[in-house]
Amino acid sequence: MSDIRKWFMKAHDKGKGNASKPANPAPTNTDSVLGGQETSGRRKTSKYFPAGKQQPKGEQGTEELPAKRKVQNENESVEKPPPSKKPSKVDIDDDFVFPKSKNTVDVTPSKKRKSGSGRGVAQKAEDNDESDEDDAKDLESPVKSGGRGGRGGRGASVAPASGRGRGRGRGGFMNFGERKDPPHKGEKEVPEGASDCLAGLTFVISGTLDSLEREEAEDLIKRHGGRITAAVSKKTNYLLCDEDIEGRKSSKAKELGIPFLTEDGLFDMIRASNRGKAHSKEESKKSAESFAASLPKKSPQKMEVKSNSSSAKISGKSSTTSVSSTKQRGQPIQQSSLTWTEKYRPKVPNEITGNQSLVNQLHNWLAHWNEQFLGNGSKGKGKKQNDPGAKKAVLLSGTPGIGKTTSAKLVSQMLGFQTIEVNASDSRGKADAKISKGIGGSNANSIKELVSNEALSVNMDRSKHVKTVLIMDEVDGMSAGDRGGIADLIASIKISKIPIICICNDRYSQKLKSLVNYCLLLSFRKPTKQQLLRSMYLLSCGFHYPIFCTCYCLGFYLMQLFGIYGGKLRMDERIDLSMSDPDLVPLLIQENYINYRPSSIGKDDSGMKRMNLIARAAESIGDGDIINVQIRRYRQWQLSQAGSLSSCIIPAALLHGQRETLEQGERNFNRFGGWLGKNSTMSKNYRLLEDLHVHVLASRESSSGRETLRLDYLTVLLTQLTNPLRDKPKDKAVKQVVEFMNAYSISQEDFDTVVELSKFQGHSNPLEGIPPAVKAALTKAYNEGSRTQMVRAADLVTLPGMKKAPKKRIAAILEPSGDVLGEENGDTLPESEENSSDTEDLEGTTDGEKLQAELLSLNSKGIEVQMELKGTGNSSAKKAPAGRGGGGKRASGSAEKKGGRGSGARAKRKR
Amino acid sequence: MLWVDKYRPKTLDQVMVHQDIAQNLKKLVTEQDCPHLLFYGPSGSGKKTLIMALLRQIFGPSVEKVKVENRNWKIDSGSRTIDLELTTLSSTNHVELSPSDVGFRDRYVVQEIIKEMAKNRPIDTKGRKGYKVLVLNEVDKLSREAQHSLRRTMEKYSASCRLILCCNSSSKVTEAIRSRCLNIRVNSPLEEQIIKVLEFVGKKEGLQLPSGFAARIAEKSNRSLRRAILSFETCRVQQYPFTSSQAIPPMDWEEYISEIATDIMKEQSPKRLFQVRGKVYELLSNCIPPEIILKRLLHELLKKLDAELKHEMCHWAAYYEHRMRLGQKAIFHIEAFVAKFMSIYKAFLIATFG
Repeated sequence: MSDIRKWFMKAHDKGKGNASKPANPAPTNTDSVLGGQETSGRRKTSKYFPAGKQQPKGEQGTEELPAKRKVQNENESVEKPPPSKKPSKVDIDDDFVFPKSKNTVDVTPSKKRKSGSGRGVAQKAEDNDESDEDDAKDLESPVKSGGRGGRGGRGASVAPASGRGRGRGRGGFMNFGERKDPPHKGEKEVPEGASDCLAGLTFVISGTLDSLEREEAEDLIKRHGGRITAAVSKKTNYLLCDEDIEGRKSSKAKELGIPFLTEDGLFDMIRASNRGKAHSKEESKKSAESFAASLPKKSPQKMEVKSNSSSAKISGKSSTTSVSSTKQRGQPIQQSSLTWTEKYRPKVPNEITGNQSLVNQLHNWLAHWNEQFLGNGSKGKGKKQNDPGAKKAVLLSGTPGIGKTTSAKLVSQMLGFQTIEVNASDSRGKADAKISKGIGGSNANSIKELVSNEALSVNMDRSKHVKTVLIMDEVDGMSAGDRGGIADLIASIKISKIPIICICNDRYSQKLKSLVNYCLLLSFRKPTKQQLLRSMYLLSCGFHYPIFCTCYCLGFYLMQLFGIYGGKLRMDERIDLSMSDPDLVPLLIQENYINYRPSSIGKDDSGMKRMNLIARAAESIGDGDIINVQIRRYRQWQLSQAGSLSSCIIPAALLHGQRETLEQGERNFNRFGGWLGKNSTMSKNYRLLEDLHVHVLASRESSSGRETLRLDYLTVLLTQLTNPLRDKPKDKAVKQVVEFMNAYSISQEDFDTVVELSKFQGHSNPLEGIPPAVKAALTKAYNEGSRTQMVRAADLVTLPGMKKAPKKRIAAILEPSGDVLGEENGDTLPESEENSSDTEDLEGTTDGEKLQAELLSLNSKGIEVQMELKGTGNSSAKKAPAGRGGGGKRASGSAEKKGGRGSGARAKRKR
Repeated sequence: MLWVDKYRPKTLDQVMVHQDIAQNLKKLVTEQDCPHLLFYGPSGSGKKTLIMALLRQIFGPSVEKVKVENRNWKIDSGSRTIDLELTTLSSTNHVELSPSDVGFRDRYVVQEIIKEMAKNRPIDTKGRKGYKVLVLNEVDKLSREAQHSLRRTMEKYSASCRLILCCNSSSKVTEAIRSRCLNIRVNSPLEEQIIKVLEFVGKKEGLQLPSGFAARIAEKSNRSLRRAILSFETCRVQQYPFTSSQAIPPMDWEEYISEIATDIMKEQSPKRLFQVRGKVYELLSNCIPPEIILKRLLHELLKKLDAELKHEMCHWAAYYEHRMRLGQKAIFHIEAFVAKFMSIYKAFLIATFG
């Protein structure tokens, strides 16, 4: 469990970093104990909390103090390792307030309401930003509530958090008039308001603010249109200060009668401009002279109920609450710049596009899960295997982007389940059985803990605990790092006391075979076009419901660009459309522009005008390609607008109109760009051709270039390879072809390459008319031949001692028909092996060595070569000691030996 | 073994077609000094053969003992390392490579690999030539940057290394490089010369050549000797003894391009353009270089085109070919050419026939 904490804590720290500067360095544990203690005591009298602030609280209820410091206390209390410490009332309250404010599992609502206060609500708002943190704490809560004993253990692992607490603590210590870190740095949620809500107002900031750094405050004000001046003057509207440090500014301000404004007041101003009530859940207490009067006042009690509505209502009903809580969560999120897919993620199941029945099924499964497995006692599991509810887990599968995760989350939310999502970004290896590592070992351990410790949470609050559901996202991604992840997951499913939803893309994946047996399978299908179009339509109308699926989306953009109304779009809208994917949209345009019948040309009997426009569009697309090269190769990104203009907008502007089909039976819908596929086929074929080329070069018969090989040789090669098979008697033909293949060291794969490259659509297959028996005989003969062949063209040969074939192809060495230099081949071969097996840096030198070696051997053959061999590479000498010594004839023998040892000396050699 | 390889002249003395060039080269290297050389000329004219014969003249038979290597190079270019894979053909004294194989990263090949090779002096020359030779193929396909980096290399390491460049069109090689080389233009052999070679091959193979058959092959070959010998052999495989009226099989891709040309001439409509696109894709994915497609297509179209339009069409073909070199996605430009052709031709047809 603690590790999950750690893991979330990191995220949480990061989250904090956004709002404020990084927390102070974490202190040592002992320190923090003291510090925590002290600060909790000291804070009460700290002048950071002037009387004015505490005042309203005092009126409010009995518990305002702890509540106010709840956050700090939480951290501080975490730092207290010894369980023996007498739990103060404050601490207990903290414990309960804390999880509760996030509507977590184990706290009774009544208690919650009691302890919750304005502050607690503020905390809540912050939590919205850091929902991850929430989850972590949720996990934590059962233990926490289990008793104070659990505390001690936790302390150690919370280093980052303690850092935070410490930072605050220091604020308390070093209270010496200098400007220092704000005491509640980063704790409050900084509101976003209308951009001009502070327009015309002039602020002066004095002293240390409650949670913002001076710079942050300035930034905040400026962002909302306010002005900041350094000194107080008549024009100043507000003096922003949280503590009256009696400085020059404040005295001047008092002189001039300028109102003081606290930070909270400022926040409220901003919020008020935005949405009067939505955010009034922020703490409303502020100093008397503040701006507060203009705000909608609410009694803290009421506000608290409201903001905590989710948790409050949980006590009553179960289903509606979590939805409302999501709504709450959703609000701050919407303000930030999210991708559309996130922004318009469906909020209720009905909004999910497609697969409604599956969603319903999921809903039913989840709804009945508890009765099935818990309500009926633990017997429920074995009862009826056919009942879909009888599986304890469910496996959602389907292609990416069709809303699996979304549905899972929505359904769980709707049923009041709290979701815990574990996805591929987390390590999900096998749980570590060793107790010594504790449960902090791996994530899987925490999952185990999670699924099995339901008892704890039940104890807390008999029947009304919040239910949890574990979502294991991307289970098929459990690989490499996650050894035994699936097996462990299955084990977890078996013991689980909470529902588990597994999500994968390909349920037929080998990895998931075992898992499938334990899960209820729900396969999501792609939404049909109609369903999608509905989404798209709604999106284009401005709002809601998209699904992320690029190509359909883009197709839709295309329809817009090309469509009848394309001409009426504003230019910036068109650029937006084409820039939605600057790589893909041009391809789609290029693929489809021919299909449009431009509406601008009017009457066009001969098709003349249309042809003209198409030519112009095609040229413009070409321009786009040229610009794209400039952008990509020379990084001229300033051209990207010109690129989108010429590759998308001009063609679309020229041709927008009705789409028509060109071929019969074609659906009248934009095709996906064909270029990508064709291009990859092309590069594949080039690779094959290159292999063939290397082999032919290696045969030493020809030294033509790759292009020549394709353009001129290929036809002849094909006739040489296939014609005899067709015409001549089987044995003779096979012999002839195999001889030819060997002469040019064409391998079986190359044969296929030649055939493949000679295939043209609409032409007959070059292999036509060759009886299968002959083909089989050819393969057989070739394989036999290659065995007797001394050395074959070397290509990605596996060397002994190396698991994988070397990346680098091994050199193929060939000799002229004369026998004279046979010996040499013997030595260069091992050398090349050495090359490949040794490190790259050898390469530079071996080249020279080789040159030298061969040069020498040229002059004086035979024995000298041997010497040279020893000089050049000792490993080569080691590798082939047997074949040395002899004359020219031996060379082939040595090669053979090497071949026999599988050392990869398969470079084909002509004798 | 294919005849084209079997009867390839091995030495400068054996050369049948460009004897004058061969003799000049021989004189050049016997005087112990060899400048950088740039061979250019259409394909099938014998550049490679001359180069190999020249190397043999310089270094003796050892150059024929080559080794093919497909090497990975790791090149450090400041911020990142670039992996290049390059096939080299090397003997003791020379290295042959096609830097343009690596595409737009050819600059690194020139800057790093070639420089590295050029730097290394051959050790212990024992009265032999004190330099080695780098043969670079397809220099005209090198990017401008690569060519610029090449020219400094050529000067700096000329003491230990000679470059032999080989390309089809010298106009795509920068002036700076051309001026550093001895330029050798290798013409396409005349048809009579081709016929002579074919008859020589036929005699060696002991074949009966009907009169006029060799002439027909030569005519079909587009004055490419390689093409001529290859199709000669194809004919031999398909049918022997020859008859004088025997069909000479065209290259598969040429056939396909001429089909496209026919398509275009027959109908000019968006639908046809779409079909043409499919066929061009087919050619491209069968590894036919786009420049060749465009050139051949123009060639086929010109055959059928009215004389009035020929000039204009050549202009547009050149225009789009240039753009194709600037761009990356060849199909876009070929398609643009076809569209342009269709629109012009259609206008022409309407103007002429109403």
